Amino acid sequence: MSHALTVRGLVKRFGNHLAVDDISFEVPRGVVYGILGPNGAGKSTTLRMINDIFAPDAGEIMVLDGLRPGHAAAQHIGYLPEERGLYPRMKVADMIAFIGELRGLSRGEARRRTAQWLDRLGLAQWATNKVQDLSKGMQQKVQFATALIHEPELVILDEPWSGLDPINAEVLRQVVDEIRSAGRTVLFSTHQMEQAEKLVDHICIIARGRKLLDGRLADLQRREAADGIISLGFASPGFAPDPGGDRSRAAADAVLADRALVAERRPPRARPQADGADCEVKLADGATAQQLLAALVAAGVELQRFEVVVPTLHQIFVDRVGASAAVAERRPGAPDSPDTGAVA
Amino acid sequence: MRPGLRDALVIARREFAERARSKWFLAMTLLGPLGIIAMLVVPALLIGNPAGTRVEIVDRTGVLAEPLAAALTAVRWKPAIIAPDTPDAEEMARIRDRKINGFLTVPADALDSGTIVYRGDNGSSQIVEVTLREVVRAVVQARRGARAGIADGQIAEIIRPVRVDPQQTNGKTEATTGVASSLIGYAIAYLLLLVIMVYAVAVLRSVVQEKTSRVMELMIATVKPRSLMAGKILGVGGAGLVQFAVWLVMAALTLAYRDQILGALGVPAGKVALPSLTFDVIAIALGFFLLGYFFYASMYAAVGAMVSTEQDAQQVQTPVTLLLLIGFASVTSVSGDPRGVTAAIVSDLPFWSPLLMPMRYVLGGATPVDVVISLAILAVSTVVIARAAAKIYRVGVLMYGKRPTVQELLRWLRY
Repeated sequence: MSHALTVRGLVKRFGNHLAVDDISFEVPRGVVYGILGPNGAGKSTTLRMINDIFAPDAGEIMVLDGLRPGHAAAQHIGYLPEERGLYPRMKVADMIAFIGELRGLSRGEARRRTAQWLDRLGLAQWATNKVQDLSKGMQQKVQFATALIHEPELVILDEPWSGLDPINAEVLRQVVDEIRSAGRTVLFSTHQMEQAEKLVDHICIIARGRKLLDGRLADLQRREAADGIISLGFASPGFAPDPGGDRSRAAADAVLADRALVAERRPPRARPQADGADCEVKLADGATAQQLLAALVAAGVELQRFEVVVPTLHQIFVDRVGASAAVAERRPGAPDSPDTGAVA
Repeated sequence: MRPGLRDALVIARREFAERARSKWFLAMTLLGPLGIIAMLVVPALLIGNPAGTRVEIVDRTGVLAEPLAAALTAVRWKPAIIAPDTPDAEEMARIRDRKINGFLTVPADALDSGTIVYRGDNGSSQIVEVTLREVVRAVVQARRGARAGIADGQIAEIIRPVRVDPQQTNGKTEATTGVASSLIGYAIAYLLLLVIMVYAVAVLRSVVQEKTSRVMELMIATVKPRSLMAGKILGVGGAGLVQFAVWLVMAALTLAYRDQILGALGVPAGKVALPSLTFDVIAIALGFFLLGYFFYASMYAAVGAMVSTEQDAQQVQTPVTLLLLIGFASVTSVSGDPRGVTAAIVSDLPFWSPLLMPMRYVLGGATPVDVVISLAILAVSTVVIARAAAKIYRVGVLMYGKRPTVQELLRWLRY
């Protein structure tokens, strides 16, 4: 099966700064692929090389069936740049059709599809207004349209949620779903894990120019789950008259103290679905969830909850990128998202 | 069609449309010719007609007042003879009160060595000066002749005006009035400076605006920087060409029907002798406009790529603009001696040939072969400059913030 995009050994250096350091990944066709990383990880630089804005110092990029970045590839790529920008004095419809034409559509076809997209995005009445007369949110929609007008095989969205209001975020989600169901491919970059998790099939996490991990999100979650984090909830002694409650608790403590089964015990992490969890344990090497459950039952522990924890994307990201990057990601007004404070 | 070329044409159409649709473009294109007509007519009107000038004559010779008054009346002035002992202060007061335009003081020794002085509110007018000079000279000379005992008929024969007319020609072209030729030459050089500068700077502004509106990243992802630059220069230049061509044609029509136009405006025909704008002059002017524009627009595009704000652009463009202005400053060396060595050199240098060669041709200083050589030099230089500019442009368009140093620029050229 051919890929929508293959990146091998990509390197880009700016002066002394190594922005992208030997990154390789493959984007299968028909998936939504997220490049995730903290600010300054090299996400935008990678996407710019795919769009032939920068030439890589080393490595190779192949788009669809063996196209190199450049004019031919650009006909099959739609691009929402991190630097949003349109010609302010152009009419909305002209702007969209103009990019469509440059992406290989005939003039008539570009006009026809522009009308469809304007309808679709609720901008039809603004078609003959100048771009500069539109609100920021509407300009965002026009910018989407310029990335989608030619129905590209590969849609590249750099920080799509930057400066996006919730309504447009929903429009974006619908559009991405449609592209996926049409069998086309979406590649986006973000540092906003909650948004990304709602959309992605595949991810590639990068930090400081290097790839940390990639793969199908479901596989990665299963693999992380297989690392053996179990969330436990015990029948509460105070909840019902239960003479055996204290005994049950003591039995549980004894089982969890068994180093052959449990490597580590800790308080439950705050998670939306963590209600009723009393603690989390990490299984010892070689131990399985099955064995732990059997031991707990055999010891007469009354369980209310036994859950093999599937980590959220955010947890995977934080675990992998590390606490320092997580701090950077949460910092408001970080330089990666200049638009957030500037909504007029 | 090569994909890069198709992109460039799509971009050119956008740039052209953005300009051609603006009301300013329409206004300038239509008002430009009005300006050209004004250039022709306003001076003629401003020179004005000194007829009706109220002048008082203070004659201390006792013999010149009557013939002076008669001669001035003949040119439709309104002279009055007043007492020879009238003090100057009194006449100055009458000028102040707008009773008269001025007064003529004829000293007692006017027939020998004295200077006849005119003081008046139109004393700086060249026509007044010329009229007075001729009228007074004739009267004084006639009086001198009479004093020497020469018969009236002979005097008239002696002082009959002598006509001298300097004309411009290189031996092949039809000779035309010198002043008028240099006027047309200047006008063409000035127009070329104007359109080349306006439209080449428009390219610079357009590049900078793509940076400030941040649309540059989208464009560079979509097309090759070279196509973007070429399309931009073509589109902006197309608008300039349309405007310039309209102006030239209007100017040619104006000159062809100048007598009728001037007549309709009340200026007597035949007074302003201008050569016609012929087809070859228009073709040469358009050719030099196009190449000169490409030459300078490439440079300005590179400047635009090097900066990220309009303020920066103002500073960095100065050397390029100066280069263009130096060329305009050398128009005098061409108009003064169109066939000279200096004129030949400056009108072959690509920086200045677009402004100077059409002028030199109008003045008959250059043969068609000279024009072709100059055009060829300009064309080759334009290709060289455009290539260098494209390299700077390619690297520069995505740079924000710091301006490149000279070393960095040289490195960009080698990429």
